[in-house]
Amino acid sequence: MLEVRKLCKSFGGLQVTRNVSFVLEPGERRVILGPNGAGKTTLFNQLVGTLTPSSGDILVQGRSVMGLSVSARAREGLSRSYQKNNLFEDLSVRENLMLAAAAGQGKARSIWRDSFRDAEVRETVREVAQQVALTDMLDMPVRSASYGSRRQLEVGLALATRPRILLMDEPTSGVGPTMIESFHRLLHSLPRELTVLIIEHDMDLAFDVADRITVLNFGEVVFEGTPDETRGNKVVRDIYLGDWQANA
Amino acid sequence: MFRQSPARTLVLLATLAGLAVYASAGGYFAREIVVEIAILAILAISLDVVAGFGGMVSLAHGAMMGLSAYTYAIFSVKLGWPPLPSALMGIGASALFGTAIGWITGRTTGIFFIMATLAFGQMAYTVFFKWRWLGGDDGLGGLSRFDLGWLGIKMGDSLTFAFFALVMVLAVYAAAAWVLRTAFGRTLTGIHTNEDRMRALGVSTVVHRAQALGFSAMLAGVAGIIAAQHILYISPEMLVWTVSGEVLIVVILGGLGTLIGPLLGAVIFVLLKHEISAYTNHWHIVIGILLIATVLSGGRGIYGQVEHWLTRRTQPAGKTAEAPDA
Amino acid sequence: MDASFWILQFLNAAQFSMLLFLLSIGLTVIFGLLHFINLAHGALYMLGAYIGISVAAATGSFWAALILAPLAVMLIGAVLYFTLIDRLRGAGPMNQVLVTFGLIFVFLDLVRMGWGDVALGLSAPPSLAVTSDILGVKYPSYRLFIIALGLAIMAGLWITLARTQIGAMIRASVENGPMASAMGINVGRLFFIVFCVGCVLAGLAGVAAAPVTSATTGMGISILIPTLIVVVIGGLGSLQGAIAGSIIVGFIETFGAVLLPGFAAVLTYILLAAILVLRPQGLLPARGH
Repeated sequence: MLEVRKLCKSFGGLQVTRNVSFVLEPGERRVILGPNGAGKTTLFNQLVGTLTPSSGDILVQGRSVMGLSVSARAREGLSRSYQKNNLFEDLSVRENLMLAAAAGQGKARSIWRDSFRDAEVRETVREVAQQVALTDMLDMPVRSASYGSRRQLEVGLALATRPRILLMDEPTSGVGPTMIESFHRLLHSLPRELTVLIIEHDMDLAFDVADRITVLNFGEVVFEGTPDETRGNKVVRDIYLGDWQANA
Repeated sequence: MFRQSPARTLVLLATLAGLAVYASAGGYFAREIVVEIAILAILAISLDVVAGFGGMVSLAHGAMMGLSAYTYAIFSVKLGWPPLPSALMGIGASALFGTAIGWITGRTTGIFFIMATLAFGQMAYTVFFKWRWLGGDDGLGGLSRFDLGWLGIKMGDSLTFAFFALVMVLAVYAAAAWVLRTAFGRTLTGIHTNEDRMRALGVSTVVHRAQALGFSAMLAGVAGIIAAQHILYISPEMLVWTVSGEVLIVVILGGLGTLIGPLLGAVIFVLLKHEISAYTNHWHIVIGILLIATVLSGGRGIYGQVEHWLTRRTQPAGKTAEAPDA
Repeated sequence: MDASFWILQFLNAAQFSMLLFLLSIGLTVIFGLLHFINLAHGALYMLGAYIGISVAAATGSFWAALILAPLAVMLIGAVLYFTLIDRLRGAGPMNQVLVTFGLIFVFLDLVRMGWGDVALGLSAPPSLAVTSDILGVKYPSYRLFIIALGLAIMAGLWITLARTQIGAMIRASVENGPMASAMGINVGRLFFIVFCVGCVLAGLAGVAAAPVTSATTGMGISILIPTLIVVVIGGLGSLQGAIAGSIIVGFIETFGAVLLPGFAAVLTYILLAAILVLRPQGLLPARGH
């Protein structure tokens, strides 16, 4: 579904992505773990096209997307959520989801139809609002919504385009335990055919939802395996998990 | 998001009706003023589409209008085409110009976008200023109005022409309001609010912005046709950047992003200009101070301020500010 | 077109470049510091010319005008700063463009009220109202004086920026404002100082230009566009950029007007558009932009 081949990126002399390769099967849930500065978000930005890699290739369903712009990759079914909320602040929750759903359904450009009155768009918004538990807040202006709700909307926007591959950048960043709980439920409720790649800090979430885990350190893949293998792996534990728990 | 509220419809129709009465009851001078208002209003509405809803503050709208007027003159005077197809060519040329500016400046925003539109506008101004074939800085005369004799309408009559101009204001407003309420307009507002996210959702924002500027320029082109047919003479002065600056003032005074505000702004601007001019030569200082005061007082403009008061009344402050946590 | 033609046009271009430099340096550093765009900068230039003419008439001395008028413009600038400019820091480019556009209108009418709507001349001081011989070409001494004045100020600013503490603070703030604030530099006060210096230079350019072009109410608006073009082409916030931009625009406009009449003005706009699209940071930007 998503294949990354020998991806490299450097800024000047600094190598932030070193020869990263991995393959995501359709419907796979993959979590990328790694300490701060491991190059997780940089990798993400290369996948969606906001950064151009120095070398390597990215394939979606066997086709390279290297020449495609950010928006073209999104139209190929690659959708992302951001680590820092990146919403339409001036608009309501409903309008936010409507814009995303219309864009996902290729209905963002007509000068004859109103995307906000489109039955299919409205249905998608209704479903996504339910998925991210925002149904009661649809008419609230985004700027007056709580941080937690905005965090949910952040994921909701990515979901509303009905992607084939969902890339989530630390969805639980900055939220409390109850909200993390609801993200567990959200991730389990996602359709099984959706391929999901998550950057995550929260270990429990990672071990709970991941089919496989990729560990990144200094821009390099240092380990890849199932959650059980990751738990049992001494290298990972030594260089990474121990450090993690010491910090937590 | 744009909403054609009943209040806006009411203000639109009342203003147009008021202007129609003024033109009918007043003499030749009143009709000239009404046409002047109509041209400025169309230009201001077209600017509000991109500035108020797309965040693209253009200083090229005067040039778009002028390009349309000159293209109309080229086809009707120089090539002998009938007025209607010539007018369509003018509007089309203006739309192309706007799309091209939007395309080329695709990734520039903020002050760089303003500067870029200034550059392209001044480029067009200079071309017509120097082009002797079109009269250069002397301008060009010998234009004609639409011939609607077959409908029994005499466009040569000043009252008829004033009515025609008002109908065009209504048409341009309707077109702008329509587009803003379609998917295209919704997406434009999305780009204005957060271009980066809109791109991540799969919208080619550069193309979208270019098309929006093209649409806006098309509406500005309509103003150019009316201006050309009004005094049957055109000069490069229409294209100079200060004209665009005045249009921006009108939009701000009336209320940026309200679509109806620019119409009110145009009425007030033109009436004020003529009223003040009756007493003193120094109407610029009055407009300048008004503009500064408007921006410093929050920049909502006349209609924006009224709407702000109205929504605060119907929605007591704080009602939406408390967000129940989920 | 013999050698004397080229020398003459070269001197004309150099003189225009220096005027543009005096105007653009203030604008560009103000922009570089706080991304503030001041469309009324041209109006200050116009005020400098008119005040200079009045001072010269009152004192009978061009030199008094050349010193006092820029200071008067600085005072006006300081008043503007505390009433308007300071409030508009961080208000977004559109509000800045609008308010300073409003100021153009206000100053335009104030000058009309004070001095009338006719072109006023200012005679060059007697010592400079002669011609000099430059490589066999007779050239007005006064224009040579403008070139010298521009070069002197260029050198002075260069030394100030490169060698003094305040220069280092300005450079640091232009390159990275937040970092400079974090290091304890008062960016607001620097901005005020730079704004005042910009006003002085604009006023100076106005007085200096008056004997060559006469003072008209349109002079502020007509100089504004080339000045903005210099700022954008050169690169925001940099002295080198302002120098390079002034010379490029000054020479293109002067030589274009005689070699390619009709096309010259478009040439500058094409250059500006090309820069904005291909290299929006300008030719020689201050680092960090």
